[in-house]
Amino acid sequence: MNACTEKTIPVKVSTARTIEFAIFRHNPFDEASEPHFETYQLEEADSMTLFIALNEIRAKQAPSLQFDFVCRAGICGSCAMLINGRPGLACRTLISQLPTKVTLMPLPGFELIGDLSVNTGKWMRGMSEHLQTWIHSAEVSNFDAMEEKMAPEQAEQIYELERCIECGCCIAGCGTAQMRPEFVGAVGLNQLARFKIDPRDNRTDAQFYEVIGNEHGVFGCMTMLGCEDFCPKELPLAQQIAYMRRAMAAAGIN
Amino acid sequence: MQTIVTDALIIGGGLAGLRTAIGVKRRGFTPLILSLVPPKRSHSAAAQGGMQASLGNSAKGWGDNEDVHFADTIRGSDWGADQVVARMFVHTAPKAVRELAAWGVPWNRVQKGDHKSVINGEEVTITERDESHGLITARNFGGTAKWRTNYVADGTGHSMLYTMSNQAIAEGIEVHERMEAIALLHDNGRCQGAIVRNLITGELMVYLAKVTCIATGGFGRIYRVSTNAVINQGIGTAIALETGIAKLGNMEAVQFHPTGIFPAGILVTEGCRGDGGLLLDAKEHRFMPDYEPEKRELASRDVVSRWMETHIRNGHGVQSRFGEHLWLDIRLLGKKHINSKLREVKEICQYFLGIDPTESLIPVRPAQHYSMGGIRTDYRGESPTLKGLFAAGEAACWDMHGFNRLGGNSVAETVVAGMIVGEFMADSLTTEATLAISSTAIDSQVNEVRDELASFQRSENNENAWQIIEAMQSVMTDKVGIFRHGEQLAEAVTELQSLYERAGRIKVSDTSRGVNPELCAAYRAKKMLKLSLCVASGALAREESRGAHCREDFPLRNDKDWLKRTLTSWSPEAASPAIDYEPLDVMSMELPPGWRGYGGKERIDHPDTPTRQAEVDGVQAGDADRFAKQQQLMPFTGCLPEPFRGRNARLSEELDA
Amino acid sequence: MLFKNPLSSPRGPAVMDMLQSVSGIILALFMWAHMFMVSSILLGNDAMYWVTKMFEGEPIFGKGYPILVSLFALFILSLVVLHAFLAMRKFPATHRQYRTLHNHLGGIRHTDSYLWYVQVFTGFALFFLASVHLYQLIMHPADIGPYASSDRVWTGRMWPLYLMLLFVVELHGGIGLYRVLVKWGWFMGKDPKIGRKRLTIAKWVLTLFFLVLGSLTLAAYMKVGYEHQDSAGERYQPAEYSQLHSASQGEND
Repeated sequence: MNACTEKTIPVKVSTARTIEFAIFRHNPFDEASEPHFETYQLEEADSMTLFIALNEIRAKQAPSLQFDFVCRAGICGSCAMLINGRPGLACRTLISQLPTKVTLMPLPGFELIGDLSVNTGKWMRGMSEHLQTWIHSAEVSNFDAMEEKMAPEQAEQIYELERCIECGCCIAGCGTAQMRPEFVGAVGLNQLARFKIDPRDNRTDAQFYEVIGNEHGVFGCMTMLGCEDFCPKELPLAQQIAYMRRAMAAAGIN
Repeated sequence: MQTIVTDALIIGGGLAGLRTAIGVKRRGFTPLILSLVPPKRSHSAAAQGGMQASLGNSAKGWGDNEDVHFADTIRGSDWGADQVVARMFVHTAPKAVRELAAWGVPWNRVQKGDHKSVINGEEVTITERDESHGLITARNFGGTAKWRTNYVADGTGHSMLYTMSNQAIAEGIEVHERMEAIALLHDNGRCQGAIVRNLITGELMVYLAKVTCIATGGFGRIYRVSTNAVINQGIGTAIALETGIAKLGNMEAVQFHPTGIFPAGILVTEGCRGDGGLLLDAKEHRFMPDYEPEKRELASRDVVSRWMETHIRNGHGVQSRFGEHLWLDIRLLGKKHINSKLREVKEICQYFLGIDPTESLIPVRPAQHYSMGGIRTDYRGESPTLKGLFAAGEAACWDMHGFNRLGGNSVAETVVAGMIVGEFMADSLTTEATLAISSTAIDSQVNEVRDELASFQRSENNENAWQIIEAMQSVMTDKVGIFRHGEQLAEAVTELQSLYERAGRIKVSDTSRGVNPELCAAYRAKKMLKLSLCVASGALAREESRGAHCREDFPLRNDKDWLKRTLTSWSPEAASPAIDYEPLDVMSMELPPGWRGYGGKERIDHPDTPTRQAEVDGVQAGDADRFAKQQQLMPFTGCLPEPFRGRNARLSEELDA
Repeated sequence: MLFKNPLSSPRGPAVMDMLQSVSGIILALFMWAHMFMVSSILLGNDAMYWVTKMFEGEPIFGKGYPILVSLFALFILSLVVLHAFLAMRKFPATHRQYRTLHNHLGGIRHTDSYLWYVQVFTGFALFFLASVHLYQLIMHPADIGPYASSDRVWTGRMWPLYLMLLFVVELHGGIGLYRVLVKWGWFMGKDPKIGRKRLTIAKWVLTLFFLVLGSLTLAAYMKVGYEHQDSAGERYQPAEYSQLHSASQGEND
């Protein structure tokens, strides 16, 4: 025991704050439930994230509290919510970077499942089906032969756009998407840009125009830039929307 | 109660489940996927570093082929793998990479000319051939003779999963999201679907299917410190176990990844070391060459993790308020490399540690990472005991990993197994699979589930589900971890047994409709405890050290007594698992047991090994080509579905011919 | 293939989007040019007089034709109407949309979204402010000049409108020009994230510059108008008009 204590290097311990969480609560499947905020107190711990905090609140104070986490490492996009009003990934938000009062709300623009849990999956699947976010090419059935070549930088460019994790922050951060639920959002436009620059996809601009050459697509974007500024993966969304806008404008007048 | 009928029920929407469903669909049957979360959020996305397949396009992969990949895989498995399955795997992996390339994965490509790279702490220049330019490139990973790990920066799993999921959407495959299978339906020794809980409404549903496939990934969350996503609780594996008919294989074979960030346990990819990163101790001394002069940081994961823990035990760990750790140094790779090829690593360091890895050392310590064990299947992916139940990916013990999996072989397995198992499921649908379950059987099984769920609301219950799960995780991490000892394992079994009994008295206070997270924790706690008991009991029984299973009281690999696969089952009335074994036949191995090329050299040999080794040496000395020799030693092509039997084209072989 | 709406021309959205941007760019650039012109009063009454005559076409026709000003103002008004009509599509249309937008903006604390809202309100205000201003010019094209304009500002009590118009139009135009560049990805440089930061700075510098210039200009007109209020209606006679005139002609040679 003593040896152990001796070895321990003294670490600067910040005085633990007590954080007050005001959490949006509503269970749409319970007829008695009305949307409201409930407050929970929690003592901050070192390197505590919202993932740790919410689990602790649920285990000790609010067993019915609903929220979504999967990877808890900032890569799967499950845990986006409004943290003090702004969309972000809860799992990688450190409590130390938040004030002592924290308001948590579910991501707006998506169907509410309960409390902080929303159905982003349903929205994203709908978007994928509508925009056909997959490679359109002639069917190959035998993969014994060598793969088609691709320029190394082209592959990197495609990956740059493919880093989207469909977390929904760009929808929650977008005034247009909030006002007009049919808007495909930065997530949709960026994904189509990803397929447009992919030489394996043989869709023409005219075909892309048919899906996004309208007010629910690229021309609906009002360049409020919430998507760009709230994207946790820092994707170049404004640039991609601009790229699609130029391409679709050209396709539209031709 | 809503009942849904389909041809093939696929439980799990990660890479393995999606690819299986695509295979079934392309053969003209209707698959239906159940997924806990939207498929693109599956844990497959977390595979950062890459996917092994012997394309051999890059200079450092030149000369690679199925034989080399096979030998690496078997050595990595410490001879615990099923060699026929490993052969099927290495043969199909190049096709899988190429299929994914056609479907849209932006694999990093070979850039012709000179490149700076870091090998063994030194900067070297690698020259790529002009002919390779634009073909899929590969990086180095642990335990491999060639650079074989195909990658997309450090978001390989993400790219693969998005491509696969999009392909499934393109093919019109139905995915029922936020659905949890909590029991398998079976009658007369045949699986006929599942009883499913809707994680939005909380309602129970019945899914009837002629064939069912479990592709729910691993069960890392039975450990306290794990790189796994929070959904990796092994519920799919547990419901197979709970049938009392299907068996689990090698549950004690649990992999610990050397570089989980400390203390959160979030993974940073093996690509860090593959690309030249080093492990340092408290004095910033590079210690791996002291233990592993040949493979250094790039021995297999079980070996590196053990040396790291040993080094910490020897007093070289870095002290911190959370305990001890070591350092991962990737600064030497340079900003450009880190900012492009290791971006997720950089982000993780920034957000969770508040450091910039281009300038600072990363605190790491081994963390639970992968379950080699799972639902035991034959080479077709079907349970030998419960017909109509298939399994693919990490959830399965198809058994290409034995007692230790190589980095880059997991995402590769998911897709390859999906391709192969999908075909065999379709074969089964074509020939024998029927829907023949009586409504009485359905009713009684549904009622059992209802009763169990209701039992958590008994007034006399007094246990808290989350506390029980936490206690279980601590037992597993503390006593069934990297180094294991008979006494500790026995304690673990006793403690888990008592937790299991307590789990029967979990109280769920919330009775409102909807998903009810407390109820989820309650039924999952019981299932996870069953798995924990299988792992701990299997580890206690196996009195040898093999791959990731390391017994301090039995430090040698013992082929004489333990060259066999652990099979665990749990009959519905029993309070603990039953263990039996399935021997591995040395005389039919293409690669007879020997030294792995890293790790300990001492072992207790199997009596058949010299005989078989002589046979193999005889064949290898002949002048037939490699295909003929392989065919003579261990024929496997007949086991593959017909579409995947062709030989893989390879630039190196074309140019060298 | 994909679903097509037979009721609207598929070209429509592209054309409308481009027209909105093009009309906006022309109006914003015109606004700045206009500001330079009217600010000529800061260089003295003669300078402003000369600018006025130039716009009436005097350097070309030898004599000023105020109708040219009318026609030009009419053209600008039609651009304003077109721009407003196109931009209106983007305004929140229903109470629900207003409420949603309000809640959204209230929570996210996001500058570029706020700026967009500023544009909605300034755009709305411009419907009236710009129309009044332009209507006046179309109907009384000759009433431009150092005294005529100053009298309008002071004695005609137009300065409160011009003051509002100044702030509203500068904000609207500056933000709009910035947005249109980001929208189409122009002048963003190699790294669009850095490019946008640069544009933001440029936008504020320009807006500030024109607001200061505009305020000074308005103050100058007010001062001239105030001093001239007793003889309001009287036209300005340039002291050395002929020299100025010949000088400008000389330059044209």
